[in-house]
Amino acid sequence: MSRDSRFMIFLYAGMVLVPLFLFLYLISAVAHLPYETFMLGLAAVWMIIFGAVGSVEIYMHGREPEERMPLIAGERVNMGLDSERGRRPKGAEQVNVRIRRFNPETKKFDEYSYRVYEDRLATVLDTLLKIKSVHDNTLSMRYSCRMGICGSCGMVANGKPILACETNLLSQLDESKSITVEPMRGHPILKDLVTDFDQFFEKHASVEPHLYRKDKEEQYSAESAYRQTKEQVNSFLPYSYCIMCGLCMDACPVVNSNTEFVGPQALSQVYRYYKDSRDQNGKRRLLDADNLHGAWGCEFSGSCSKACPKGVDPASAIQLLKASIISDFGEKG
Amino acid sequence: MEILRYDIAILGSGIGGFTSAIHASHHSKGRLRIAVVSKLHAMRSHSVSAEGGISGVLYHGKGDSESLHAYDTIKGSDYLADQDAVELLVRNAPKEIKFFEHIGVPWNRSEDAVIQQRAFGGMSIPRTVFAADKTGFFMMRALYDYTLQLKNVDIFHENFATAILMNKGRAAGIFMMDLATREMKLIEANSIIIATGGFSKVYGFTTTSHSTTGDGIALAYRAGISLKDMEFVQFHPTGLIPSGILITEAARGEGGYLRNSDGRRFMEDYAKSHMELAPRDIISRAIMTEIGKGNGVLHAESGLEHVWLDLRHLDRAKIDERLPMIKDITIKMLGIDPSEEQIPVRPVAHFTMGGINTDIHGHAMLNGKKHADGVWAVGECGCVSVHGANRLGSNSLSQCSVWGRIAGIEAAKNAMSARRNDAKALHAQAEDEEMRITELLDRETGSDPYEIRKELNHLMDSLVYVYRKTNELKRAKKGIERLRKECDSIVVNDKSSVFNTNLRDALETSNLVELAAVVVEGALRRKESRGAHAMVEYPKRDDKRWLRHTIAAKKGKGISVSYSPVKITKWQPQERKY
Repeated sequence: MSRDSRFMIFLYAGMVLVPLFLFLYLISAVAHLPYETFMLGLAAVWMIIFGAVGSVEIYMHGREPEERMPLIAGERVNMGLDSERGRRPKGAEQVNVRIRRFNPETKKFDEYSYRVYEDRLATVLDTLLKIKSVHDNTLSMRYSCRMGICGSCGMVANGKPILACETNLLSQLDESKSITVEPMRGHPILKDLVTDFDQFFEKHASVEPHLYRKDKEEQYSAESAYRQTKEQVNSFLPYSYCIMCGLCMDACPVVNSNTEFVGPQALSQVYRYYKDSRDQNGKRRLLDADNLHGAWGCEFSGSCSKACPKGVDPASAIQLLKASIISDFGEKG
Repeated sequence: MEILRYDIAILGSGIGGFTSAIHASHHSKGRLRIAVVSKLHAMRSHSVSAEGGISGVLYHGKGDSESLHAYDTIKGSDYLADQDAVELLVRNAPKEIKFFEHIGVPWNRSEDAVIQQRAFGGMSIPRTVFAADKTGFFMMRALYDYTLQLKNVDIFHENFATAILMNKGRAAGIFMMDLATREMKLIEANSIIIATGGFSKVYGFTTTSHSTTGDGIALAYRAGISLKDMEFVQFHPTGLIPSGILITEAARGEGGYLRNSDGRRFMEDYAKSHMELAPRDIISRAIMTEIGKGNGVLHAESGLEHVWLDLRHLDRAKIDERLPMIKDITIKMLGIDPSEEQIPVRPVAHFTMGGINTDIHGHAMLNGKKHADGVWAVGECGCVSVHGANRLGSNSLSQCSVWGRIAGIEAAKNAMSARRNDAKALHAQAEDEEMRITELLDRETGSDPYEIRKELNHLMDSLVYVYRKTNELKRAKKGIERLRKECDSIVVNDKSSVFNTNLRDALETSNLVELAAVVVEGALRRKESRGAHAMVEYPKRDDKRWLRHTIAAKKGKGISVSYSPVKITKWQPQERKY
């Protein structure tokens, strides 16, 4: 901020100074005052102006750390800053970013709002990272690959579950050019936008999500490749796209009321391994899912499939699993 | 500080880390206690971003052989690869591909139900096995899921390692910080496997994830372990504008063209026989030469000049089956359907050929000829070296699986026989490390880690890119020297203990600056052009003086540089033509 603001201050100072000099010169000429009086007046004006410039600079520099550190527990903080040091990047729009941050000490949400300029290509994650690095180092969120494949940055924007890295920012704005970002529901929250995945990982692990072979030695030694037709691959392929981002669990109404329900993510993985022709544990997988915490816990609201950013369609996986439990029982494994 | 004891500590949870864990577990028949430490959720490592495929000779007698794979790799490396290591790679790669098939990876299949292969740059024949354009992701998911059933492997999600602790040149333990609570932990272990990936985040314009900050390499370097060939950074020809997201080489393997601003396929001027499937260093230089001639296109938002990747002539069904992620990314990021419009691309930092100096078994080396007992490095963070001065696409996934297995088994053997370390000395070291982190947190004024990283990225992007010049490298060296000093007074504004990513960012930034200095030092000294290291003043390869590896070690605040010979077995260096 310093270099640009200094330039502006000198520009404004010049705009004031030049007319003042002319005015003084005119007065001294008209009033026939001696040359020394003019010089004294000039010196006085110089001192006043530079004093003002200096104090404005100190004021602005003094404020800088304060602006960067707005964490005041439980208070609403409004950041009137833009992203690029006071300059508006070409083609950028002003956006109000509101972040509902969970405070682990008070166990409450604090709402922070920031004004940033972003162009048409910026993603929600780009903006959050800019806010973190430029305006507020204390902001926490998960992120990594920034190409929608690692599953770190699941969150909720304007009420919609998203992956922040593959969601265009400007396309998400409401009429007031605002976006409200908050952590996923359906998981405990650690801090700000960061949720606790422990339960989610436990549920995933509980369905034994690995290719099961009776001959473990043969599986490990992998002497020769298995055969699998394209059709056989395609029957489970869509369910193997799961990146474990947790958004389906955020959307599921049952998970949010019944913590025992294993949930759409794990059930979609049950079906993924059940349909894999290389897997030899079909019967056991159906047995394990055949209860109210498993497949029958699903009330088929379909919200998980709508939320899934990778097109996994857990809702259909669960219904197909139910159908398999009823009809295929005993045919596999 | 919490003290934990394991037989093997694995730093990093990518394909290299998990593969090591699985094979160490099997080798010890489940007896050894193994810790896998990840600064992310373990299944989210950067390996998930690998797109195009994994190389390996699956079908002999159809014109392919292991010796041809080795030759392609060595020629691709501009003869800097150690040929005995390359032979090991090509011999073991097919087995690893079958192993991944056996643990659940949905390899693309041909009509007759067998594993299919696609063409890749610098390979004389299609030998890249793939799962659409999400190969790394599928391999990671299979590894994570398989590991969950191994009772003797504990996964530490979101623990950030800050030091590798050695005792008289032997592995003793790792020191780490739990991100969720900021609790400090010491893992005592006689075997340490480093598998933390590369450090392409020294660049701003890179394909790699935010996590690719070379932490394990920097920790090893500070612990007295030497680094090899750090000046060789691969620039992938097709990084998406403006984010740098990778557009896989498979896009060209499946028939995509590169075009300049006139719409001309300019590769015919640079690699007439291989065209768009020449190795990456050659295509990246061709693109920058075209842009230098004024044949680039200016991207309005970013101000970056680029060329076009043209997939419009490819069958839509082929794109949906084999390149679905690329299509998804260009639509979501740029609103471009690759069947309708061309994709703007430019060379982008992608892979770091250099890394921890290891022998052929992935065993890390101290400065000089001595091993760092009990320390292995696998995957991108290690330099065996099989990629030499330029890696061929799809050789990286084979490399991390092959050496993941080798190092996992070696580390298990070591853990079963090694003596226990002197616990007292180790705990004292750990307390010093804890003090260092506390002091960093307590500092109230100093430099901003994000400003340092921004400046570092700018220096590397502008001065240590595809073409390098001595005076520019000197400027970069000066700038990095200044940033290194600033790192000593870095300030963490977030003083909280729950999920403090500000603290993590500050530590990562110091790691990046440390490694960037080694890259520039090696680059300045190497007065030739070889593979990815292209010096404008020295445009020719100079085998007489420079057919050797650069070995760098930390010496106080400075860097000591020495050289070691390249292992040549069957393939004498020749002129490299495509």
